[in-house]
Amino acid sequence: MATRAKSLAITPARLVHLGNRTLVYVILLAGATFTLLPFIWIILTSFKPASEIVRIPPTFFPEKWTLKSYQTIFTDPRVPLARFYFNSTFVTFMRVFITLFTSSLAGYIFCKYRFWGKNIMFVLILAQLMVPFQVIMIPEYLILVKLKLIDNLWGLIIPGMVDAFGIFLMRQFIEAIPDEMIDAGRIDGASDFGIYWRIVLPQLGPSLAALGIFTFLAVWNDYLFPLIVITTTEKRTLPLLLTWYSSQHSTRYDLTMAASVLVMLPILLVYVIFQRWIVRGVALTGFK
Amino acid sequence: MTNIAVPVPIRVKQEKGANLRPWQRAFVAGSLTPIMALLIFFSVLPMVWVVVLCFYNFSPARAGSGFMDLGGANPFVGLDNFKAMFATSQTSHIFRLAFLNTIVFSVLVLPVNLVITLPLAILVESVHDRLKGFFRAIYFMPVISSAVAVSLMWGFIYHPQQGLLNALIKAIGLTPPRAWLTDPNASFLGVNLAMIAVIIAYIWQDFGYNLIIFIAALQGIPQEFRDAARVDGANAWQEFWHIIMPLLKPTLLFVCVMTMLSSLQVFVPFQVMTNGGPAFQTEVLVKNIYDYAFRYKQMGWAAAISMVLFMLVMFITFIQFRLLRSEVEY
Repeated sequence: MATRAKSLAITPARLVHLGNRTLVYVILLAGATFTLLPFIWIILTSFKPASEIVRIPPTFFPEKWTLKSYQTIFTDPRVPLARFYFNSTFVTFMRVFITLFTSSLAGYIFCKYRFWGKNIMFVLILAQLMVPFQVIMIPEYLILVKLKLIDNLWGLIIPGMVDAFGIFLMRQFIEAIPDEMIDAGRIDGASDFGIYWRIVLPQLGPSLAALGIFTFLAVWNDYLFPLIVITTTEKRTLPLLLTWYSSQHSTRYDLTMAASVLVMLPILLVYVIFQRWIVRGVALTGFK
Repeated sequence: MTNIAVPVPIRVKQEKGANLRPWQRAFVAGSLTPIMALLIFFSVLPMVWVVVLCFYNFSPARAGSGFMDLGGANPFVGLDNFKAMFATSQTSHIFRLAFLNTIVFSVLVLPVNLVITLPLAILVESVHDRLKGFFRAIYFMPVISSAVAVSLMWGFIYHPQQGLLNALIKAIGLTPPRAWLTDPNASFLGVNLAMIAVIIAYIWQDFGYNLIIFIAALQGIPQEFRDAARVDGANAWQEFWHIIMPLLKPTLLFVCVMTMLSSLQVFVPFQVMTNGGPAFQTEVLVKNIYDYAFRYKQMGWAAAISMVLFMLVMFITFIQFRLLRSEVEY
């Protein structure tokens, strides 16, 4: 009884503590509001009629909810939305799966085999980590011109099939797989590729997920590379569609914001489902 | 935590059984040859090529006489492209503005980002686990969003009449600026207003990334260290300054370098929100490279600007190596 009474007593120290806790939550909520407000604002904007958007001062909640802006986009014959979703999805999934395959295979070989030229090759890979795409985009474009891959979705896929960072990352993770396990596979008569496919790959689950998710986000949201490679309308990816569409309707914020919502929506859904994995992946890899 | 920019010491593993069996050699060669070929063709070759290009007056519109269209109509000009950076022409002037703006942007983004993310990470880390996950999830949302959509979104928020920001400023009784993104005469503390607007939008999109890194690092600090400090009578501030900060130093260095490197490479908000304007006040190096290479087809000049960008990147990486050498991990 005595201890219980003591624990309920309001002491000055406890008041300070309570005040501090409250302050912490106020700051965290203010930050969350600052983060969410722009999203809420454009979603609300996309449901307003065009006449309400140009009103001064602007309304926050729509006075009259309407789906007009979405209807306009969906029925515009110059905007075959399904086509653009397909382009983005196709390029992204190809890049993700090929990157995961090449990174884990090369990572496995660099980690578990000894062969001539291994160190030079690995240093070459590490050196690529220091070169930003923006520095080499001009020759990248010229190479694609020579290969006749300009204005071709494969032009967005093939140069990204091998990812230096992915190889580096996978090698780090494969280091943790004991050699004994690989030897055991060998004794059981597995081929080298069989060991990679049936012993190494299944153990890389979380790291493959991290690399896959970040390749997915990077490719899906990429703007600069598609901007220099793609020229015709029907081959555009979603970010290209968005800048083109907003330039066509520069004063129609209802349409531009609705299009932005449509482009952001799939990735936000992916985020809601994989949120834990994504956040853990950043912490795990330091990948950006 | 694995660091992209810092190659950690590479241990060369000495496997038993030095020589590979023939079928193993076939596996290694068969797998690595296409992978290394792609890497060399799409990463190493472009790096060599951009160095070559910056010594030429090259346009993809002209057919040259020699290898890869070099020579002939695309003549070798030696260091002319680099000399032109100090000339008085409009092009050189825009390049110098872009160079300065890139530095200003990076130098301003870093401290603002740190001042927000480090304290916020400590606050998030201090609350109950379930709420921690909730706040982390919200703060990270802008990071995964499309940069183009975010730029359009902030462009609308900054709209002088219809935008949310000026409406909020008016609602609390203050006078908002006439235009956030288009007024060349507006500035705040000596920094152009349009640049400040882009910095705010960029930090809004980017801060969740550093936040997550800091939270992960804070979770890695053993609770015993903090308890020991408490037992010795340290207050919260002393605990932060003498226990947490020293242990956080390697992470802090990593975050500083990554933030600097990535802010040097920003393109989308400068292209979509401001298009370099007003009066080139938000023209940056990557946008300069893009414009001259792909709009004006002056790829030699643009390649020379690429080399300047590369030098900046190497400079930051070099500083990081120097600082790391004196660093002791716990």
